[in-house]
Amino acid sequence: MKNNFTLQARKILIPSLLFLLLGLQQGFAQKVITGTVTDEKNEAIPGANVYLKGGTTGTNSDATGNFSIKASSGDVLVISFLGYQAKEITVGASSTINVSLKPDTRQLEDVVVVGYGTVRKSDLTGSLASVSAKDFEKQPLTKLDQALQGRAAGVQVTQTSGAPGSGFKIRIRGANSISGNNNPLYVLDGLIVGDINSINVNDIASMEVLKDASATAIYGSRGANGVVLITTKKGRKGPAKIELGYFTGVSNVVQKLDLMNPAEFAEGVNFAERKEIFSQAEISGLRNGGGENWQDRFFRPAPFNNTQLSVSGGSDTFDYFISGNINNAEGTIINQDYKRYTLRANLNAQLTSKLKVGLNTFVSREKSTGARADLAAGLTWDPTTPAFNEQGAYNFIPLKPGIGNGTANPLLVPENSIREDFNDRLTLSGYANYDLAKNLVLNISGGVDRFATNDNSYAPLILNNIGVASVENQEVTRIQNTNRLTYKIDRNPNHVVTIDAIHEQQMVTRKNNTSTASNFFSDQTTYKNLSLGSIQRTQNIFTNENLQSFLGRVNYSLLNRFLLTASVRVDGSSKFRAGNRWGVFPSGSVAWKISEEEFMKSIPTVNDLKLRVSYGVIGSQAIGPLATRANPIISPGVNYPFTGGTATIGVAPSNRAANPDLTWETTTQGNIGIDLGLWNSKVTLSLDLYKKNTTDLLLNTQLPSFVGPTIVTRNVGEVENKGFDISLGFDVLRRNDWDITSSLNISRNRNKVLALVSDEPLELGNVFYTNTFPVNPTRVEVGKPISTFRGYVFEGVYQAGEESEAARFNRKPGDAKYKDINGDGRISTDDITTVGDGNPNFTWGWNWDINYKKFNLNFLLTGSQGNDIYNFQRGRMMALGAQQFHAVHSDYLNRWTPSNPSNIPSGRDGTELLSSQFIEDGSFTSLKNVALGYNFEDGVLQKIGISKMRLYVSASNLLILTKYRGFDPESTASGSSDVDLGIDYNAFPINRTLTLGLNLTF
Amino acid sequence: MKRIHKIILLAALTLSGQACIDLEEDLSAILTIENLRTENDVVAALTPVYRQMMSVHQEPHFLRTPTYGADDITTWEAGNKAPLRVFDRFDYGSGENANIAWLPTGWDGYWRTIYFANTLIDGLKTSTAPPAVVTSADGEARFFRALSYFNLVRTHGNVPIILDGQLPTGEEQRATVLQNYQQIESDLLIAENALPKPGATRNVGRVSSAAAKTLLADLYLTWGGWPVKDNSKYAQAAAKAKEVIDMNYHRLLPINQLWLLANQNSPESIFSVQFSKTENIRSGYATAFSFHEARGFSDAFPELQFFRDFPEGPRKDATFVTDIPQRGVSAGAITTLNPATRPWQNSQRGYPMYKKFTIAEDLTMGDRTTGFRAMELYRYAEVLLIYAEAQARVGENASSIEALNQVKRRAAGLPYLTPNATVDVKTATPDEIVAERGWELAGEYKRWFDLVRTEKVEQIAAKRDAAERVKPVRMPTKAQYIAPIPFQAISTSKLIQNPEGFKIQ
Repeated sequence: MKNNFTLQARKILIPSLLFLLLGLQQGFAQKVITGTVTDEKNEAIPGANVYLKGGTTGTNSDATGNFSIKASSGDVLVISFLGYQAKEITVGASSTINVSLKPDTRQLEDVVVVGYGTVRKSDLTGSLASVSAKDFEKQPLTKLDQALQGRAAGVQVTQTSGAPGSGFKIRIRGANSISGNNNPLYVLDGLIVGDINSINVNDIASMEVLKDASATAIYGSRGANGVVLITTKKGRKGPAKIELGYFTGVSNVVQKLDLMNPAEFAEGVNFAERKEIFSQAEISGLRNGGGENWQDRFFRPAPFNNTQLSVSGGSDTFDYFISGNINNAEGTIINQDYKRYTLRANLNAQLTSKLKVGLNTFVSREKSTGARADLAAGLTWDPTTPAFNEQGAYNFIPLKPGIGNGTANPLLVPENSIREDFNDRLTLSGYANYDLAKNLVLNISGGVDRFATNDNSYAPLILNNIGVASVENQEVTRIQNTNRLTYKIDRNPNHVVTIDAIHEQQMVTRKNNTSTASNFFSDQTTYKNLSLGSIQRTQNIFTNENLQSFLGRVNYSLLNRFLLTASVRVDGSSKFRAGNRWGVFPSGSVAWKISEEEFMKSIPTVNDLKLRVSYGVIGSQAIGPLATRANPIISPGVNYPFTGGTATIGVAPSNRAANPDLTWETTTQGNIGIDLGLWNSKVTLSLDLYKKNTTDLLLNTQLPSFVGPTIVTRNVGEVENKGFDISLGFDVLRRNDWDITSSLNISRNRNKVLALVSDEPLELGNVFYTNTFPVNPTRVEVGKPISTFRGYVFEGVYQAGEESEAARFNRKPGDAKYKDINGDGRISTDDITTVGDGNPNFTWGWNWDINYKKFNLNFLLTGSQGNDIYNFQRGRMMALGAQQFHAVHSDYLNRWTPSNPSNIPSGRDGTELLSSQFIEDGSFTSLKNVALGYNFEDGVLQKIGISKMRLYVSASNLLILTKYRGFDPESTASGSSDVDLGIDYNAFPINRTLTLGLNLTF
Repeated sequence: MKRIHKIILLAALTLSGQACIDLEEDLSAILTIENLRTENDVVAALTPVYRQMMSVHQEPHFLRTPTYGADDITTWEAGNKAPLRVFDRFDYGSGENANIAWLPTGWDGYWRTIYFANTLIDGLKTSTAPPAVVTSADGEARFFRALSYFNLVRTHGNVPIILDGQLPTGEEQRATVLQNYQQIESDLLIAENALPKPGATRNVGRVSSAAAKTLLADLYLTWGGWPVKDNSKYAQAAAKAKEVIDMNYHRLLPINQLWLLANQNSPESIFSVQFSKTENIRSGYATAFSFHEARGFSDAFPELQFFRDFPEGPRKDATFVTDIPQRGVSAGAITTLNPATRPWQNSQRGYPMYKKFTIAEDLTMGDRTTGFRAMELYRYAEVLLIYAEAQARVGENASSIEALNQVKRRAAGLPYLTPNATVDVKTATPDEIVAERGWELAGEYKRWFDLVRTEKVEQIAAKRDAAERVKPVRMPTKAQYIAPIPFQAISTSKLIQNPEGFKIQ
């Protein structure tokens, strides 16, 4: 035992030794056993694992299914292969052992992870979507979100930015909360973690997305947005398995925008200014190759590569999985680089027959560098001015002053500013599982998730003559302890009861320390020596939050036909004051396995049919700590230099009014589901209908800005989400050399605000308001989805002959025509109305896996239908908004003139950015990932110690079908916000990537 | 093995013994401001009030958006100045264009000042700081509250009255213009007695009793004019302005010295907002009042007729730049091009620029002109002119004519206290004094309010030069005298937009 362990450890440390050791297996009275592994159709299974139970000796079957292994009489051989039931055979006298493996009835016997436990998939009573490694391992992915995208019904995963290493937005069955956070709860190996950034997707064994109340209510006050349970890989019993994966490739922006060339732009300037800013000679000079193509300056082909190495294995009493990953990616926008290093070790040990312990450790570092070019200002910068003059120095400002916009050369910041951001993560989770008595199990687990970010920046003297440096350190530490007792009563197989009693507590502390300095005399040390800046400031923040919980759950199985689950969780949170602190979250669900009934046995086509119903109450406390209090503002923005010199420190009253009565946001959800399996699960269907009502919203109710404290968080309002999730699986073809499977999922969610304070609309999307637009482009309104777009209704352009109608609105031909909705004869703010909706009607994903002989083609189509996008980037390119002087978009070529009666306005006054002119259909169908691979499995490889090799080419976003005219329909400037979703302004476009990859298994 | 079991059991018991984590939030990092105990506490609470007033006035074109109808400023006919052109073109008045950019700057900023001042006034009621400190800080807070309400009511018409100790509800309704005036007056009557005399503190940026009296005089002058037109207020305006003159603290600077950086916070300044090069807190005046070719933003420059009518002399020379600087940028720093200047007629915008706001510019802070000079919200010349005008409206006298003549002498580059027959007048009509105010206070956020209260908007608009590049969409009427309330405020409150919500008394 001990020797074996040391041996394994050495293998881990020195993988190259493995090849030697494999060839040097020696034993007592051993003989060579040979045999063939076949499937139920008597066809050879190549690559099956064959090993001695309890030992480290093992091999794989070759391309014809043959294997040979040394063993002694009485040894137990284990033969296993993914998708088949493993078989154990005791070695007897014969030296030939042929094995026929039976396929696992697909899915039904799979065990899935649920909250605080596992359950056979066939015994599920709740609604859950499961994504396992085999669903995505053929694609070169780096981030966990990518693996979920398009692969789970009811889960909307949106890539909001193409920046390397950037996060995705994940919504499970829509957004419940208006002011609170709508991110799902992430549980990594039982530990509730803050987010899933930096986690290595190659370490993931499976992800279970809990959707309905019966599944999520066990997470009580944090389950309302759905729960994603992430289970990392474990070593499997058997000899060490070393897997190496490498891929490399290149990214490009999917499409560039259609902009005017410099000469066309110059003519447009002359038109708008009504005088000859550019002479005809200058324009013809530009036509002959002058000026600048700014898109070519900002975008570049961006290479990336990823190296993944893992070692796993185990014995009867110990298993291990160790994995390391290095990911390098450049951004398709200049000077945006990303590196990630991760290391994971998952260890489990059976200490005694009753006691098992395990420890999962994960460390990661992410590094993001480079100040990003401002695309909103950069793409609209004067194209008649080259980036550099003849001496190779920057043209800081347009050659003609006041052309384009008022910013400096857009290459200055990305090429000169420094940004170096580091994210370090340490996640440790351990458990001890102890069989106290027969059927009584105690499980104690706990862990730490520590996330430290260190963001550094420096803007050098060339940009502002003073130098501005900033160092921000933030540390978030989550500590959790969970104690679970499970008791199972199964004496009578017709009445099986499982009871869980759980106590859990979690502490979160956040520390933030920001130091800034400016007025440097030299750029030499950048942010690394803040003392050189003559103005220095520091700011720090400390907050904590604690949660204490008691949970209970009962599962009852009657005659293995009726299943019942009931759970209750009681949570106490420090975010709320005493009296409002504790919340109770019950749920219940029943399932009827109709296919187990006698009357169904006569219908062999239907091998699985189950009806599920669930109902429950879940909460959300997704607001920050100190939300019940009004905290004074302390910041440089409230300091004042009374004598024109050094500023006096000020303390200003809060912009938030205290609300000691604040408490949980509550969501009730009902779900009806049906699971169907036909022809031995060759076709599977899961259909879920749901309705969620969220009440007592944690709503930042909005007082008018003039009254003083503008924000009060109150428990008011109601939001409804209803819809359905469909998952369909097909074994399209399994014959001869072909194996084709396909799965399709379709989700529909309708989001509707049912009530607000006095049902008055709210304007909460403050990402854009005040910074960019004088009117909030979105609003929250009763009877509409959480976010709808507002603006004037654009009706084209006043044409020649419409002078008198135009004059009624102080306009003239060439000016934009807006609808006078209330018919009062003037265009006023009363004519602002709802002009669009960023929520899709449907989202869907369709995954195909096609195997022919040793070729594999795997692709995923995803789509979104019916969502609008507010394309403010185009608006600015048409010279609208307070930051832009002149149009750059090629639409402007078709501007209205008396001789060109188009519907592109050419007037300078009274043209609104917030109008339906800039609403576009954001529906799309995307060939998200496609990978074509070839598996090499032959004797030559095996001789050099490689049991499997896969070579593949892959592409992402290869094809996007959309009418949207921006860079792409997916990336938005709204990030993860739900109150102003679907806005395109200075967004980082997503990329089309081409990848070449290699997977090796030793 | 037995031992391991015992250890596990022990560990389990220990953990469950630790079960009660604290569910109270840790508040040790939170500063409480319920109690203002010391002078330092009071100053810390007063600081944001000043900062907020400075912030409103930091970017002059944003604040002045609703005052572009006046003849002392116009803007670039193209580019991104559409919000400024809305008011220059009189394209408002019945709810249109309430949603334009920059209009909310003054509205939001002044209301925020009011909120900060209200909180301070409320906190001082229970303060245990020395009584002298409390009284003075209360006066300062009231001055800023009064100034904020005054500029709000002059710009947008009657506004709600929200005072200290009132919890906002979102149900607030607009008071009348008269009620607004009365509230402002009551604050200033307290402030003028509570505040220290000018020069009593070395803190040059702090408010003095002279500032409170000046603001009160300005309020009475406005009260006498449109829309309330209570003629009895002119005598009060004259009396209050005379009190400031009789303090004998403030004086006029030579006109060519007045706007220099070295003379910020001079004895001519009654109250100025402060900026700081040390803290990199910049003033937007030089940027807003310079053309792009001079490395500014071309936001504001004088209308042609106004410039032509402006009397020649040292004051005109100190007010306007007629040779427009030609500047470029190289290696991040501003450079001077060849030729270094260009006559205004051939300049990029074809207008002169304001010198009073650009002469103290700082060209060393990056690629755009900027500045740090403190900016006067009230200066002594205005006090003299308030006195002269208000007295003229109730019957001019020797001292009111002398006050006018002091301004005229200084404008001519002469010693202002020495009578000089070449410039002195023996009598002046109120209209002549209003015109004099226009020249003296050109571009200082005064002219529009003068035109409104004296009902001269129509008359001045009619004089607008046909060559003016921003063309009016209509000739203004009383509907254009007050700006719309910003849409965001209307759509999130119970306020009624102008003109329906405009109530005088």
